[in-house]
Amino acid sequence: MKQFSMTKAIIQFILFLFTLAVLIPLLNILALSLSEPSRVDELSGLGVIPKGFSLINFEIIMSNPFIVRSIVNSVFITIVGTCLNLFLTAITAYVLARTEFVGKRLVLVVLIAVMVFEPSMITEYLLMKDLHLLNSYAAVILYKAINVYYLFILMRFFQEVPNSILEAAKIDGAGHFRIFTTIVLPLSKPALATLALFYGVYHWNEYFRATIYLTDPNKWPFQVVLRQFVVTQDNTTLLKGVEGMTPELLASLDFGSLQSATIVVAVIPMLLLYPLILKYFTKGTMDGGVKE
Amino acid sequence: MKKVNRIKRIRKDWLLYVMLLPGMLYFAIFHIVPIINMKLAFQDYRIIGENVWVGWKHFEQLFSSPAFKDVLMNTVIISSMKIIFIFPIPILFSLLVNELRFGPFRKYVQSVSYLPHFLSWVVIAGIWITLLDPVDGGANVIRNFFQLPSLDYMTSKEHIRWVLVYSEMWRSAGWDSILYLAAILKISPSLYEAARIDGASTLHQMRYITLPSLMSTVVTLFILNLGFFMSAGFDQVFNLMNDSVLSVIDILDTYVYRIGILNGQYSYATAASLFKGAIGLILILGTHFLSKRLTGKGVW
Repeated sequence: MKQFSMTKAIIQFILFLFTLAVLIPLLNILALSLSEPSRVDELSGLGVIPKGFSLINFEIIMSNPFIVRSIVNSVFITIVGTCLNLFLTAITAYVLARTEFVGKRLVLVVLIAVMVFEPSMITEYLLMKDLHLLNSYAAVILYKAINVYYLFILMRFFQEVPNSILEAAKIDGAGHFRIFTTIVLPLSKPALATLALFYGVYHWNEYFRATIYLTDPNKWPFQVVLRQFVVTQDNTTLLKGVEGMTPELLASLDFGSLQSATIVVAVIPMLLLYPLILKYFTKGTMDGGVKE
Repeated sequence: MKKVNRIKRIRKDWLLYVMLLPGMLYFAIFHIVPIINMKLAFQDYRIIGENVWVGWKHFEQLFSSPAFKDVLMNTVIISSMKIIFIFPIPILFSLLVNELRFGPFRKYVQSVSYLPHFLSWVVIAGIWITLLDPVDGGANVIRNFFQLPSLDYMTSKEHIRWVLVYSEMWRSAGWDSILYLAAILKISPSLYEAARIDGASTLHQMRYITLPSLMSTVVTLFILNLGFFMSAGFDQVFNLMNDSVLSVIDILDTYVYRIGILNGQYSYATAASLFKGAIGLILILGTHFLSKRLTGKGVW
């Protein structure tokens, strides 16, 4: 029996080490962003406790109109995009999951084809150009208006709505649209919440299409701006336009800490939603994921 | 007779088609049209007027270009490394998590390990660039602790591919284990009880009950992964790339982006995309039918 518990202890230890490997880099970024700029050099690369405490990095970021605008843009894209996603995915999923009609097989074949073959980013880009959608949010929002995987997940949920309820409604004379809006949708609230989170995360994290479709930097979402600071290491935009920026203040700042603070701002919405995500996502993926 | 019946049904179900219309319009305009437009690979792009058909010209140019060969090699190498070193990790992870009793520690392990999946590659790149900083990054703190000299991982041609492997592992090891964990939960507990009565150890139970029960999930996910083989993780490479290591991690998609979107060689870039898509399709259909023949199970 002793051998037995030993194995368990080793397993727990390995998993604990793994969580540290995930957490320490994240907490280190947080510690960097909250440290006093003058003491940030004392912070070790594995340190998770800020050296001193200062919100100066966040104040600088939040007083940059360019960054604030990009955050507003991101929120706008995320909210409008997610609403459109939900509407289109739900109505399509209902028809495909709960009804029989001529041509259904063809539609399903097309959906599978869409899953295994992606269009080229070049022809997608040229399409947006032909439709005159370049430099408009419509391009960023529309190009992924329905995610086929999520569509299939929602279809599974809709199929679980008990048939007897739908039959009863039909006998009462309710048409498909009534059944969809007054019965299927309210019964699928948890599933819709799951999808809203799926799609919301997707929109908040999107940067690539925005980079190539949105030519006006004032329209950029936050992730594109973050990429400029953190990946391209372009610090002029970061400090440009910050009110009350003096040479002394500039000299007292630490660029690495500013970058970290920007990363933290990008992660905060995710952390706020994370408990919900854990509650819904894991269930959603488990129930509707890949067929076995 | 049958035809009339059909038309009648279509008429009766008009509302369904109306409800289906917005979704179908979306797929037609934003998926099917750009796929059909990939015929551009066989044409020369014209800003004004019709494109001109040129046959295999762009493909010939592509296959005779040394740059394309490098890019193809990089894609194959990086994808192979990821399949070999990353694919087994979530399986292992789910086996380990499965041994934890339901309780706070298990919840902690799961919550923490799923988190990176929800961060964008821009954020992860930022975190990893900080972690691998040549002066005071965490990785070098550990190296120095073991008396090893500091390394600049991000600009080292030798190490950057491993950075791709490890950062991908960091991001997805936990999350990708979910499907395996779900499959494990479906295994009948009586199997384990019987094994325990027969004196099987934890490791034996893993080896002879859990792992075999996971095989069909493993096969399915492996096939799906192969479908992405030629992608090799565009968002990751795009954000972890810099000029010093471009030559070893430039993959098909980053190449398409550079020659197509940045340089405007639309036809040539589309040819590269089409090649990538065709190989991906062959891989996924090939493994699907192979697996159907061997195990009776495919992806769909």
